[in-house]
Amino acid sequence: MSSEPQIVGTAIQGRTGQVPAVAGGAFKALLVVLVLLGIVGFGLGLASGQADRAWQAYLVNLLVWLGIAQGGVVLSAAFYLTQGRWLGTTQYRLAEAFVGFIPLGFILFWGLYFGRTLIFPWVLHPIPQKAAWLNTPFLFARDGLGLALMTVLSLALVRLSRGPQAAAWQRDSADIEMPPREMRRTAVALAILFAVVYSLIAFDLVMSLAPQWHSTLFGWYFFGGAFWSAIVATAVSAVVLRARLGAHNAFRNPTVLHDLGKLVFAFSIFWVYLVFSQYIVIWYGNIPVETFFIVHRVYHMPWEAISYAVVILMWVAPFLVLLGVRPKKSPAILGTIACGGLVGVWLERYLLVVPSLSPRAIPFGWVQLLVTLGFLGAFVLCSLPGLNLTAAAALAEPWEEHE
Amino acid sequence: MSGPVEIVASFADESGCAGSIEKLRTAKPIAVRVFSPIPSHHIEHAIGKRKSPVRAFVLTGGILGVISALALTIGTSWEWNLVVGGKPIVSWPPFIVIMFELMVLFGGISAVLGFLLNARVPAFEIDAGYSSRFSGDRFGVVVRCEEGDSTRFESILRDAGAEEVGREAA
Amino acid sequence: MAAAVQEPVAPTFGDIDRSVLRVMEMPGLVYWIWVGFCFALVGIGAALWTRQIYEGLGVTGLRQPVMWAVYITNFVFWVGIAHSGTLISAILFLFRTRWRTAVYRAAETMTLFAVATAGLFPMIHLGRVWNLYWLLPYPNQRYLQPNFRSPLVWDAFAVSTYLTISALFLFMGLIPDVANAREHATGWRRTFYATLALGWRGTDEQWRHFSMAYLLLAGLATPLVLSVHSVVSWDFAMAQLPGWHSTIFAPYFVAGAIFSGVAMVITLLVPMRRWLHIEDLLTPWHFDNLAKVVLLTSLVVTYSYSVETFMAWYSGDKIEQMTFYMRYFGPWGWLFWVMVLCNCLIPLLLFSPRIRVNLTALWIISLFVNVGMWTERFVIIAGSLATNFNPSQWAFFRPSITEIMITAGSFGWFLGLFSLFARFLPIVSMTELKEGIVWLRKSLRKDYSRVA
Repeated sequence: MSSEPQIVGTAIQGRTGQVPAVAGGAFKALLVVLVLLGIVGFGLGLASGQADRAWQAYLVNLLVWLGIAQGGVVLSAAFYLTQGRWLGTTQYRLAEAFVGFIPLGFILFWGLYFGRTLIFPWVLHPIPQKAAWLNTPFLFARDGLGLALMTVLSLALVRLSRGPQAAAWQRDSADIEMPPREMRRTAVALAILFAVVYSLIAFDLVMSLAPQWHSTLFGWYFFGGAFWSAIVATAVSAVVLRARLGAHNAFRNPTVLHDLGKLVFAFSIFWVYLVFSQYIVIWYGNIPVETFFIVHRVYHMPWEAISYAVVILMWVAPFLVLLGVRPKKSPAILGTIACGGLVGVWLERYLLVVPSLSPRAIPFGWVQLLVTLGFLGAFVLCSLPGLNLTAAAALAEPWEEHE
Repeated sequence: MSGPVEIVASFADESGCAGSIEKLRTAKPIAVRVFSPIPSHHIEHAIGKRKSPVRAFVLTGGILGVISALALTIGTSWEWNLVVGGKPIVSWPPFIVIMFELMVLFGGISAVLGFLLNARVPAFEIDAGYSSRFSGDRFGVVVRCEEGDSTRFESILRDAGAEEVGREAA
Repeated sequence: MAAAVQEPVAPTFGDIDRSVLRVMEMPGLVYWIWVGFCFALVGIGAALWTRQIYEGLGVTGLRQPVMWAVYITNFVFWVGIAHSGTLISAILFLFRTRWRTAVYRAAETMTLFAVATAGLFPMIHLGRVWNLYWLLPYPNQRYLQPNFRSPLVWDAFAVSTYLTISALFLFMGLIPDVANAREHATGWRRTFYATLALGWRGTDEQWRHFSMAYLLLAGLATPLVLSVHSVVSWDFAMAQLPGWHSTIFAPYFVAGAIFSGVAMVITLLVPMRRWLHIEDLLTPWHFDNLAKVVLLTSLVVTYSYSVETFMAWYSGDKIEQMTFYMRYFGPWGWLFWVMVLCNCLIPLLLFSPRIRVNLTALWIISLFVNVGMWTERFVIIAGSLATNFNPSQWAFFRPSITEIMITAGSFGWFLGLFSLFARFLPIVSMTELKEGIVWLRKSLRKDYSRVA
């Protein structure tokens, strides 16, 4: 889906010619197997009377992985708009690496139509006061249109970003000029639309699963979390690429991991601030139509345990561990915290979605596992072209020790 | 009978100043002091001292702030167990807000205290070699060395690009 | 002294010093008339406050159910203004933003005096001002302690912390600058600057500790900004009142604070730049970037209004829907639409690069934003109270002369203090501008006559 590979800088000696392949044939085969397992698992889930669990797994994973992919492109847009050029072209390739999953995510969104009776409680039991908003045609039309726009804009931004004009700007860090006009406008449109569309997604695909509940901050909270998940995923990619690309790639510069670590640290604090803002308002007001959502997830086992896990993985660990300078620069520590963060994000989306649909027990069996593996495989497969370009950029802007 | 002398060199730019410090380090004078109108990572790096202990002050202050807040809020709540608004006696969401604010307050005050104590400010004595242009647009390097070595150091400083090199009694 | 001249395009350290120190020479008659006018406003406000203390809060327009109106609006407004100063001085410091250096001192000064102004209002709003000390946790014969479960107590902690940290941050940053000013001053000024400079001489040891302390203060001030206006917003969100009880209030108010504050920075800096002849230090590039912050936060505020409106409908809660209906179409509905015009529509003009660097247009837009944001606080506070749960209680607020003049007095207090600072202490940070002189030179070379 990504455009033909662009060479930035001097010629690179990769394993397959001019753009290095980050993953070998065996790894790609493994990913394909995971995808197939996911499809099979989903199908078996539908067939064996666990259709509701299958669709829950589908929805949770769609939200997680599409959030990461989209958040990455928005991160690139944010870099453009704040004129961040601390790592030249590599940082932009890194943020945009996951763009390949966005079109797939868009297609998979439509799959939700087929499970709508099992996902959205208001399909079979419509709520009269909210029926003007919560009805199948309108929901799919608005969310579909929103995601379509996001897909088009994301691909446009990444295509522009991989072009020579953008590359020249990205490498010129000693200047105060804004990025080229087309990039600026696309980045602005993308950022604004991200907030609007992903708030809609949050309200429609997550909040409406508990249709009596509402929280004005929910949309912001959701796309804030998606943004953080993208930052964390880029940190993981940076750590992995750093190890795999030899001794002189751009990621070996300790300030790179330091800067990524700072982003992980700062936005994890922002996330917990949004969590606390919702919590304290709902706790203090003590209004039953608002509190049931939180009480169910935070005060009742088994969900209580997951809530604690989510906060620990998404805030406590990153905050305490990444407070100092040296842990941020250590690939092992940053990588572990970032992986933990990804697990936390998955658990958080799970915690938002599933208790509304399956109140009493935690449904996690082989269906959930296989579907998750399938999405993971698909995500990594779609991101491989982007990661290859990132590797190419990192090798083209090598870093020497003692620079 | 030669005693230590102070050589004062003034530089017009940061890089010249930082470069001269690097050259001086190999020559091992008794002491070097640098005056600068702006904070400079370049110069700080060239001098190569360890990170400032002000960090420890701030960390301690922050932790003290959190503990004080907990003590204050939980202590006063227990002292007079009024159930207000149906909230528990020890209700942690509001107390977190107080903890956070006192953490920042104590941390910030500690940062300033740490600075004052470590930088020995307010300073009532003028450092030797100081000249008013070092607060404006010139960088100053003051080298303390033996009388016999002074010509060597003076030439090092001149080679590094010093505008003026002068002498001050130690 | 010469007015705006053809300044060299590659200013040196000395040029920066001269431009800034020139501002601190003895000001003329016009300046003193302006300061006199400001403090005259303060005097009138103080006189009316004295009358209010003597006669009680009945002289205001406060009547059930609207027991919070203009004074609380002013409080939130001024605290909000303060936040953008800290954003620019602390948060942008952490981001190493290049355009920050010329504007941050003025912004941080604005913060300090805005908080000092805001801090007056809880006192003004207190009928029995002499009981203010009850807020402190001191042992008393009834064993009563402050109620830490109350958002008003959180407010006391948050705003006093903010006042302290802002003052410390401002005065720390001033030290190298007043040391420089000390070298060029004589007489009482020299003593004044020397005292403030604490004997600073700029040695490497001093800078080492200073830089670390400054960085950590910036790091502490950053979450403080988020927390203080969140706490202020929770004064309202903790209630169950429709229009107040909303989870989005914390980040929405923070964004609104930055919005109103950066607009106020522009309102102050555009005339200041002309009157103090510092056009060579504050270039269109700085204003371009300030305008972008205004635009961004305006979009966030528009988002918040939209989400609140949608959620009022989505909730299906009749009372909440009625509150919002009255807010938009009730007797004071016109005020709401003024607010939308000022906060949502007019800032859209800032999408145009030409308008962003047209300082007159930018200044006018900033005035609209100031008006719009004051109005927004009033609409939320007084508007929601006026249409509460019990329709038989509904009554709409009418401001009294006391409240109007005290509001005017607060503006006088703020502008007076700011003006005094601007002439007697360095209103542009010479130290940081010199540190980032590369970017200043580039911005002076930038050609804004043909913007994309």
